[in-house]
Amino acid sequence: MKISFNINGRNVKLDVDPMRRLLDVLRDDLELTDIKESCGEGECGACTIILDDKPVTSCILNAVHADGKKILTANGISKTRIGEILLDCFDQTNSVQCGFCFPGFYVTAYHYLITDGEPSLEKIRYALSGNICRCTGYKKIFESVIMACERLQEGS
Amino acid sequence: MRSPRKVDARSKINGSHKFIDDYIFPDMIYGYLYYARCHHGYIRKITFPEEFDLKNFIIIDYKDIPGRNIVPEPEPDQPFLVENEVYHYGQIIMGIAHPNKAILKQFVEKIEIEYEELTALTDIKECLEDESNAFGREIIIDQRQSLEPRSEWIKTSAVYYTAHQEQAYLETQGMIAIYNQDQRSIYVLGTMQCPYFVKEAVEMIMGDKITEVVIETAEGIGGAFGGKEDFPNILAGVASLLAYKAEKPVKIVLERSDDIVITTKRHPSRVEIETYTDPVTNKIRKLKIDYRLDAGGYLTLSPVVLSRGVLHSFGGYNIRDVFIHGRLLRSNTPSNGAFRGFGAPQAFFAIESHIDKIAGDLKIDPLELRMKNILQKDDRMPTTQIIREDHILDCLNRVIEKSDYKQKYIEFQEYNQHHDNKKGIGISICFHGGGYTGNGEKVLQSKVKMTIEKDAAVNIYVANTDMGQGAHTTLAQMVSETLDHPLNKTRVVIPNTSKTPNSGPTVASRTIYIIGNLLCDLSLQIKKEIQGNLDEYVRSHNTLFPKEYSRCFTPDPTVVFDDKTYLGTGYKDYSWAACVCEVFYQTSIFKLDLKKIWTVLDIGIPVNPKIAEGQVEGGLLQAMGYALTEYFYKPDFGRMHGFTDYILPTTLDTPEMDIEFIHTDSDFAKGLGEIPMNYPAPAIRNAFHHATGIFIDEIPLTPERIYENIKGKS
Ligand code: FES
Repeated sequence: MKISFNINGRNVKLDVDPMRRLLDVLRDDLELTDIKESCGEGECGACTIILDDKPVTSCILNAVHADGKKILTANGISKTRIGEILLDCFDQTNSVQCGFCFPGFYVTAYHYLITDGEPSLEKIRYALSGNICRCTGYKKIFESVIMACERLQEGS
Repeated sequence: MRSPRKVDARSKINGSHKFIDDYIFPDMIYGYLYYARCHHGYIRKITFPEEFDLKNFIIIDYKDIPGRNIVPEPEPDQPFLVENEVYHYGQIIMGIAHPNKAILKQFVEKIEIEYEELTALTDIKECLEDESNAFGREIIIDQRQSLEPRSEWIKTSAVYYTAHQEQAYLETQGMIAIYNQDQRSIYVLGTMQCPYFVKEAVEMIMGDKITEVVIETAEGIGGAFGGKEDFPNILAGVASLLAYKAEKPVKIVLERSDDIVITTKRHPSRVEIETYTDPVTNKIRKLKIDYRLDAGGYLTLSPVVLSRGVLHSFGGYNIRDVFIHGRLLRSNTPSNGAFRGFGAPQAFFAIESHIDKIAGDLKIDPLELRMKNILQKDDRMPTTQIIREDHILDCLNRVIEKSDYKQKYIEFQEYNQHHDNKKGIGISICFHGGGYTGNGEKVLQSKVKMTIEKDAAVNIYVANTDMGQGAHTTLAQMVSETLDHPLNKTRVVIPNTSKTPNSGPTVASRTIYIIGNLLCDLSLQIKKEIQGNLDEYVRSHNTLFPKEYSRCFTPDPTVVFDDKTYLGTGYKDYSWAACVCEVFYQTSIFKLDLKKIWTVLDIGIPVNPKIAEGQVEGGLLQAMGYALTEYFYKPDFGRMHGFTDYILPTTLDTPEMDIEFIHTDSDFAKGLGEIPMNYPAPAIRNAFHHATGIFIDEIPLTPERIYENIKGKS
């Protein structure tokens, strides 16, 4: 089946088995390795992407779901102004450990920034609850996102 | 003390950092570890699905091994591939490879194996109760003082149990092996903690078919926590053999549902403790410990886990009359291996729970009992090692003060009288020996190397990997600070056995403590030679560069440990910690939550305080998972699936954390990675006991377990 979508601003057309996992199509066919696979069952959020305007786990979506949609991944986000601010906050707090979960957290946190952005610990904990990190204990991740919310509020 | 940013953070956040599954080589094909779906038995018949053309698959079993079918490290008792008898579920039988991942998956799912089943021991408790399952190493520390218990002394005895724990590194295990026919060499790239263990494994399985093996780690290692200490040996061995047979690069990356079933876990334990306490002085006079671990199917790492477990089992107390017996027991479950703490979390769960049990028997505050018996300056551990400072006492005093423990202890008791839901507060104290146990570091003889380039760039070569603990940033920082050289011109080169010397495995909280301090010594030696600014020196003596420097670990001759009696200096330096946990228990749904944890640690001088803090935060949360939710529900855990049935802490479960480092004596960095895993679980258990008066001797404290316990008692 032919599908087309826009990913990080680039239009792509592909001929794929529509039932293949979107994650595999993105990683294997388009070689977008900023999307990570960890649990493969939608639990951990390592493969989170923004599909149109929602953060979703690409390991439990079929390729056909992307047809006609807009996709944003960690790599795409890092090239935006808000993405750069968020990245700097994650970096500044030394929050990153193994980093395998981070592209996923980055995507989810970015989505929170653009849709809500209130520097509220409770809201942020909730927004990030679909992403698992085994290394950090989350504390510095929370600090980073709060810091990014504050920086954005100051800037606006 | 500065906290410069991590060298690899930006690329990890934006996803450009390369983990093993992100590498692609020309002509690369995909491999799969085909494993036993039988707990114990003989393989009678293997049937491959007919609808596939077998010619398109590369299939290897033990008969294809040109070298020896034995994994050399750590204890050489486990075959790479099953020969006839399957000893545990998940044991690897074959390696299979194909150019197309999807076809490979369909093929392996349709393979059928007929087994002649034998009796299998898969029930952990059954294994741990029966002493006749003992095998491998047995350790006795006998420091009995022929002290007859007096009739007024209070005898307290109990048995404590801990369950399996899964490392749950977010990146599953993975390797790529490439065979070069002309050079008869094998190159393996992968996610691992111990490149030189992997090298030995590949040499062993390949035998004289190859003349050179080079192991390199991927740019990123997505977490390990001990889980990538020994399993990578098997994985790399099988991948190498497949690559040799296919004459193509072979990539094997495990799916989570396979990884959780076949790789190593934390050892389940059964620890029986008997004490006699003098009710007048509240001094513990006699201590007897029977420490047992379920090793799983093969010994592998278990003997050394047992050593560390036994050497931490007596806790941070000054007790003179001690007898400890440590054993390994064999079951038909996957071999258990390394996991942050390495036998110590099991030990501290038992002893720290037991201290609360004694306090209950004496009807005193558990804090008071700890204060009466805590190891102080000039006290002796049961191993005869003398403690030079009030490390653990200082940690405890500080954490009690910060957490307002004394007030809360009374306040919560009053609160609980009038409320259905309960509040509780609990303590634990602990230590962790840095580096290999006993004479281990002497035997390892770690080497490090540095090169200074023509542009004064400093390259550090160590075999220790950065699996997220920030080691490569911290090591570079140590060298840069000692040399007075900019951090951006100082870096650790990704470990590659063709150019990196063997500085030992990345385990035992030894990377900063042993290797970092060794690098500092080497840096001082260089500094002496250059007498001043490195940049200037290199400019004025440019013909001397690039230049290589190296250094080997020299053991302290005063450190003596007797491997037979287990007496002497178990570890040259210890890190120390104490914590207070506050819990909330919802009575109607049997649910226990950790609200806040305060912890004070003595790890010497942390090099990069933010990285150090991050290590503690992550360790505390893993320990909370160990205490509350992480559990293989199905006794036959070969059927576990992944993160849907193994419950990891999420952002919503994260308690408040208050972390402080104090330092009592050492002016250098000591071990840090493991200690935060050692002690929160018993403090949470103790807090639950304080909240409800219910004494549970087992973790995790899932609602099911709490319910069973209450039901059993009523
Ligand atoms: S940083 Fe390792 S899983 Fe999050």
